[in-house]
Amino acid sequence: MILHILNRPPSSSLVYREALAAMSDTDRLLLVEDGVLGALTSQVRHFQQVEGRLFALREDLHARGLEGQCDASVQVVDVDGFVTLTEEANKTVSWF
Amino acid sequence: MSSHALATGDLLVILRHAPHGSSWLREGLDAALVAAAFGQSVTLLFQSDGVLALARGQQAGPLGQKSTAPTLDMLTMYDIESLFFVEDALASFGLTQQDLQLPASGIPVTAIPELLAGHKQILTF
Amino acid sequence: MASSEVARYLNVGDRRIALDPEGYLVELSDWTPAVAEALAAEEGRELGEEHWEVIEVIRDFYARYQASPAMRPLVKAVGLALGPEKGHSLHLMRLFPDSPAKVTARLAGLPKPANCL
Repeated sequence: MILHILNRPPSSSLVYREALAAMSDTDRLLLVEDGVLGALTSQVRHFQQVEGRLFALREDLHARGLEGQCDASVQVVDVDGFVTLTEEANKTVSWF
Repeated sequence: MSSHALATGDLLVILRHAPHGSSWLREGLDAALVAAAFGQSVTLLFQSDGVLALARGQQAGPLGQKSTAPTLDMLTMYDIESLFFVEDALASFGLTQQDLQLPASGIPVTAIPELLAGHKQILTF
Repeated sequence: MASSEVARYLNVGDRRIALDPEGYLVELSDWTPAVAEALAAEEGRELGEEHWEVIEVIRDFYARYQASPAMRPLVKAVGLALGPEKGHSLHLMRLFPDSPAKVTARLAGLPKPANCL
């Protein structure tokens, strides 16, 4: 399993498509920095194909005042959770 | 090349940016060359705008940016000969394999995960 | 990369050749075989026929690829140009002890290899 890390939002960058294209059926996607905008209920449709394997970093949601808008289908993790995700993956790939 | 026989290796470098507009392409090629100089087996994947890095006829940029062409030619001297591009990305610019400077293999988007799985480390540029 | 900082000058005949802090030429166009001889003499090296043919190979490499090679591609280029019996790191280590890729680039008037051990 590969952990893909995306730091751009689908609202202004198409790199999320490259990340999704590179993901296998078991890979996970973690949204960080501006990437967490994609976790909002109004945006999360872009990530339908990885439902259940989509994560967002709590600290980045919190800093933007968006924790309340995060979609229920997204698994919110803190920095410790980020570390755990990294440990569970056999490698990580960054998309920016 | 069958889709079940895609390359494996130590390092996959994914190049997603076109020449000249930023330093991403050059940095990605440099990373590939460093790894190869240290004996790692390296594969390059040209994805989205990055496929333009393979286009024939590239020159130095108007602001004095070095051309990518000599660096691409040099890859073989570092034994980097496993080159892939995403077919749809090349087609989206109206280019075909005949427009490419180097022999690279086209793969469908659906083969990208397999390429990632076959390498120990992956760097995106 | 070639550094533009002049650390010192090397006298070659009646010319003063600017060198960067690591002893590489500041102006690559300053290079002549006499400059190579002078650079080699500084390090106590004497250039014979086998040295010159490698210097020619690395200068051809730079002209074609616009970069100085690391050790592995230098070995490969030497093998392609001069035959497999010379395309070995041992051959280059014998001719240019210490670090063949760096030493050869310096003597050939090229920038220090960027991707080098």
